[in-house]
Amino acid sequence: MAQPTDSEFVTIVSDDGFEFIIPRSTAYVSETLRIPLSSTNYPEGRDGKFVLKDFSGVIVEKICEYLCYNEKHKDQVNVPDMDIPPELCLELLMAADFLNT
Amino acid sequence: MELRSALTDYLASNNISAQQIRDDWDRRQAEAQRQPDQTEQEPSNPPEESRSPSVLESPEDPVKKRKRQQAIAKIKNSKEFAKRKARFSGDYDDEEDDDFLALKIHEEKNRPQPGQLANCEICDKRFTVTPYSKAGPNGGLLCVDCSKKQKADEKKPPAKKRAPGIGRRQNQANLLDGLTPHGTQSLLETCIKKVADYIHDIEDFGDLPPSLLLRLGQILSRRRAVTSRTLDLFLRPQYTSIDLFDCAKLGTDDYHKILASMPRLTRVNLRFTTPMKDQIFHYMMERDMEIKDLHLDGPNLVTDACWRQLFIKLGHRFLSVKLWNLDSAFDNETARVMFLQCPNLQRLKLKFLHKIDNDMLEGISTLKSLQHLSLRFLDETETKTEPLLQIMSSIGPQLETLSLEEFQSADDRLLQHIHDHCRRLTKLRLTLNSTFTDKGLAAFFTGWSNPALTYVDLNSLRDVDMTNPDGPEEPIGLASEGFVALMEHSGSKVQHLNIASCRHVSYKAFEQVFAEGKIYPNLKYLDISFSTVVDDYLAQCIFRCCPALQRLIVFACFKIRDVHIPREVALIGTVGATIKIDGITQTETI
Repeated sequence: MAQPTDSEFVTIVSDDGFEFIIPRSTAYVSETLRIPLSSTNYPEGRDGKFVLKDFSGVIVEKICEYLCYNEKHKDQVNVPDMDIPPELCLELLMAADFLNT
Repeated sequence: MELRSALTDYLASNNISAQQIRDDWDRRQAEAQRQPDQTEQEPSNPPEESRSPSVLESPEDPVKKRKRQQAIAKIKNSKEFAKRKARFSGDYDDEEDDDFLALKIHEEKNRPQPGQLANCEICDKRFTVTPYSKAGPNGGLLCVDCSKKQKADEKKPPAKKRAPGIGRRQNQANLLDGLTPHGTQSLLETCIKKVADYIHDIEDFGDLPPSLLLRLGQILSRRRAVTSRTLDLFLRPQYTSIDLFDCAKLGTDDYHKILASMPRLTRVNLRFTTPMKDQIFHYMMERDMEIKDLHLDGPNLVTDACWRQLFIKLGHRFLSVKLWNLDSAFDNETARVMFLQCPNLQRLKLKFLHKIDNDMLEGISTLKSLQHLSLRFLDETETKTEPLLQIMSSIGPQLETLSLEEFQSADDRLLQHIHDHCRRLTKLRLTLNSTFTDKGLAAFFTGWSNPALTYVDLNSLRDVDMTNPDGPEEPIGLASEGFVALMEHSGSKVQHLNIASCRHVSYKAFEQVFAEGKIYPNLKYLDISFSTVVDDYLAQCIFRCCPALQRLIVFACFKIRDVHIPREVALIGTVGATIKIDGITQTETI
């Protein structure tokens, strides 16, 4: 079932099937997400759904948390860094590199 | 006094930092000291008599009441009372307030001393007063249990009130780290920092890409956390390059480990390599390693003989050699061997090498592949213009970057030669010179057939004469004419421009360069420190003309007081200025 591509929300899916629905604008912080999601030439753009194949639900949850955190604080000054559990930081680092954020 | 110093000593010797306890104790003790004449008059004054204000208000026998009134009358005549009264504003001086104040002083004076018994102000329990007893909300003392509760209550609201301004130090530190003061950091940077925080708990990086390894290496080096233990994380047999910016904590064996576990290395970039010795170079030579890029900072234990051997054995493969801070080895002869044995060198950087001087310069002319040249001698080394002219006329046409720092006495002839011979330069750094003239620099940039430069660093081209701060009539160094000519020539492409300490660029020249309608579309970094003429108006002009600007450095531009800066710009070096970023005003607190 194809959703309209201009929906206000997009779905980010983890490797193990967890789905996270976040505002489209937050996802667009990441080039890797923005390009496919904003074009109807890609299945992601048509479905409004992006599958992060290499990352588990825990990591994808953290990514989505960051995307929202980033959106929330984008106009503020002296924003503290988001808290990242040390055990996730290496995997999250790889994810951040992949997402280019 | 005895007791007080004994207590202080005791606290100090046990390293107890209990300012609160000490203050309470001091105050009570001081009051007890002021009291003796009174206690002499009332030798049998039992502590419970004044255990709390509520008790004082209750009916009591006339003798006690009279005594109390006497005491209060006495207090009213005392110096302490006058002082306290003076501390309140002089608005009121009626009888009632006087009475109240006197009563308060009386209560404080009658507070029990350590060792005596008292009743707790809150739970009314009887307890022994100690120096640690806390004062309750109404001035009486509290028992141990209530003190604890009170303390817990006090701890709860530690939320520090942040001043409305921003801390200058933290702010400047962030700016220098390249963080613009709004929005969040990228997830990547946040994660890298976190990884660096927990580096000692990490056993393996997994398959991190080289670009991230490089960034992690930089952050760990900056935190001085590169040790034998963390080095292992960076050793990847399949990778061909290693970059470590702080090797000061590595031992000689660690260098062996690097070379042994990364046999395919072609790029070795190690800084602060004090323990590197001849044997490391011998190892490279024995294995005939395919090193192409050798960047070493401070390998001072390597001997001249070993350097020469290295160049003879491996020099033919070298594409770039960058060396910093060598004081006990590497002389002109070694340099000569290098030029002879490394004919394919494309990049050469020699900075702060103590034993080389003008004599080695002519060798550079023989490097027919050289594209990038960077030289800086020690400041006491005598420099001459002629060898530089020779370099320019022989290899000038192929040079893409040129950096000549601190050639104090190089004169306009050098500029003329660069003008005549260089056609492919993209980066030019000529700094710390007090011989070039403004006319020479203007002529240099006017009609130069070299395309526009992207990186220009001309900092500290100025006359240095303490007795004549305005400089001579004919300006020396980069002044108005030169600056205008520079921007005419390179304005369209320049990304990085440093004209710090070029003090004689006039207000008019800045106005002309950053006039309305002029656009420098690529300029990202601009350093105009010590250009004291720049004021708020010129700063706004700069922001208008440089849409891509990311950093503006303005140390000692004291006329910048109140500026509105675009979002992406980090303004570095202001003192006490009011900075507005998209409507958010930040006033620096110093």
